[in-house]
Amino acid sequence: MSEDISIRQHFSLEDKRAIVIGAEFPAGAAIANAYAEAGANVALCAITADDAVMRIRKVKREIETIGREAREYVMDVTLGRNVQVTMRQAVKELGGVDCVAIAPDLFLAKPIGSITDTELARVMAVNFNAHFFAMRSAAAEFRKQGTPGRIISVTSVLGERGLPHTSAYSAAHGAVHNLIRACSQEFGPDQIMVNGIALGYMDWMQDRINPDDEEAQRALRFTIMRRAGRADEVAPLALYLAVESATRYITGQIFPVDGGLLQHL
Amino acid sequence: MEYSVVLELFDLANKVVCVTGGGRGLGRGMAMALADAGAQVMVASRTQNQLDTVVEEINSAGGAAESFSFDATDSEQVDALVAACIEKFGRLDVMFANAGIGGGTDAEFWKYPDWAFDGELDTNLKSTFYTCRAASNQMIKQGDGGVLITTASGTALRGNKNFPYPTAKGGVISFTKSLATMLYAHGIRSNCIIPGFVSQSPAKSDQERAFREQRGTFIPARRLGEWWELGPLAVFLASEASSYVTGGSFVIDGGGLAGGLGPTGFKPVHEW
Repeated sequence: MSEDISIRQHFSLEDKRAIVIGAEFPAGAAIANAYAEAGANVALCAITADDAVMRIRKVKREIETIGREAREYVMDVTLGRNVQVTMRQAVKELGGVDCVAIAPDLFLAKPIGSITDTELARVMAVNFNAHFFAMRSAAAEFRKQGTPGRIISVTSVLGERGLPHTSAYSAAHGAVHNLIRACSQEFGPDQIMVNGIALGYMDWMQDRINPDDEEAQRALRFTIMRRAGRADEVAPLALYLAVESATRYITGQIFPVDGGLLQHL
Repeated sequence: MEYSVVLELFDLANKVVCVTGGGRGLGRGMAMALADAGAQVMVASRTQNQLDTVVEEINSAGGAAESFSFDATDSEQVDALVAACIEKFGRLDVMFANAGIGGGTDAEFWKYPDWAFDGELDTNLKSTFYTCRAASNQMIKQGDGGVLITTASGTALRGNKNFPYPTAKGGVISFTKSLATMLYAHGIRSNCIIPGFVSQSPAKSDQERAFREQRGTFIPARRLGEWWELGPLAVFLASEASSYVTGGSFVIDGGGLAGGLGPTGFKPVHEW
């Protein structure tokens, strides 16, 4: 441990290896770009083998433009074995791993009475199981390396509060929040720190709001800063939480990037 | 390092930051980190000779620091601190209301004296109010926003026999949320740092070292934090890197709170 690290080094990932799961989503893409800008080589994982692959390919090109290495993978986050195998391959090809960001997101707004068993299973699988499988595999990789590690879960303020029609989604994110807390206790002694970023109402979430509802703009009215957040405002916190020297004493926390939404909900 | 959009966000060049309680411990660590990130720093506390040391450390490392000796529990002196920032640096962008210290007395609760309770509230809560009021007044005059950061304590989130300190620090947490609500229209963000067990300085004796090691065994990181470890968090919150973060509470405690500081160890079950 050293106090002689300059503040720039505390925000640097020079020559580090990062895995970003759900890099086709706006937050994941911004995080992947930020990691590369801070000096890391990045494994980009799309969670489905469809147009998501085209989206991570765009991120890959952006990263290569700034002279960093990016690799693309398809990781079915609903299957623990697939997460494990894909992560193993990514770690092998990156030559190791220093941080893993987990950012898949599947929103569902419906009254609980009309949420089908299949929909609940899918919402839990993408929003919660993905984080469980990724943390399990990431911790195994860090332990195998015998190095410290950083895990960053991108989650939602709905993990702390519940709103009508978000029963499945809020429950899944609440589960992620306590997964972060429990895993922080298990991983702490190995210096594997796991923290979350709880997103508020972001600019890519406009299609989640029903324009016919007169309360439609409530998400914005309840946000202290009175505007939606942007993906590039998620990335700096994700970078800070990914740097080993900066976060040796932070684990089990869920920090907001929500313009103050959580303080009003 | 080559130009990077994201790293620029953490840059504090041309920003004026004031850190109260900056003479030692965590405040000193954060002041040094903020200066390292490029800020011009006003360090303020009660004790001038400690301030002199911090100013010397920052300036000799190529930073720009000034000091102001004051009593954070006196609102006139707090106003004078803000005036001093303007006199020295011409403006104020970030106020770090960090001054505060645990004290009180060992008296039983049912006999607890007024003076001890009042003293804790003055030092830890009212000082934060005075500081943020004076700073926001200046920032609103400047008209281009600003950042307020407060320091609470992990003890605020759990019960404690020495109750006035956590009571005051709990007030700081909710005060910071109200600041966010009241000041958003002026572009002023406010967030709270909540340190858990963090050492203010290196251990002075074997006994102290042993106590810290024993205390560390209950923390998932298996140790206490060090005084400098809050620096990067302070820079994140003071800079544009946290542009969509306000009213937040940032616990830095090695994982203690997430697990309730309890000894871990449910027996692993291998069969169901």
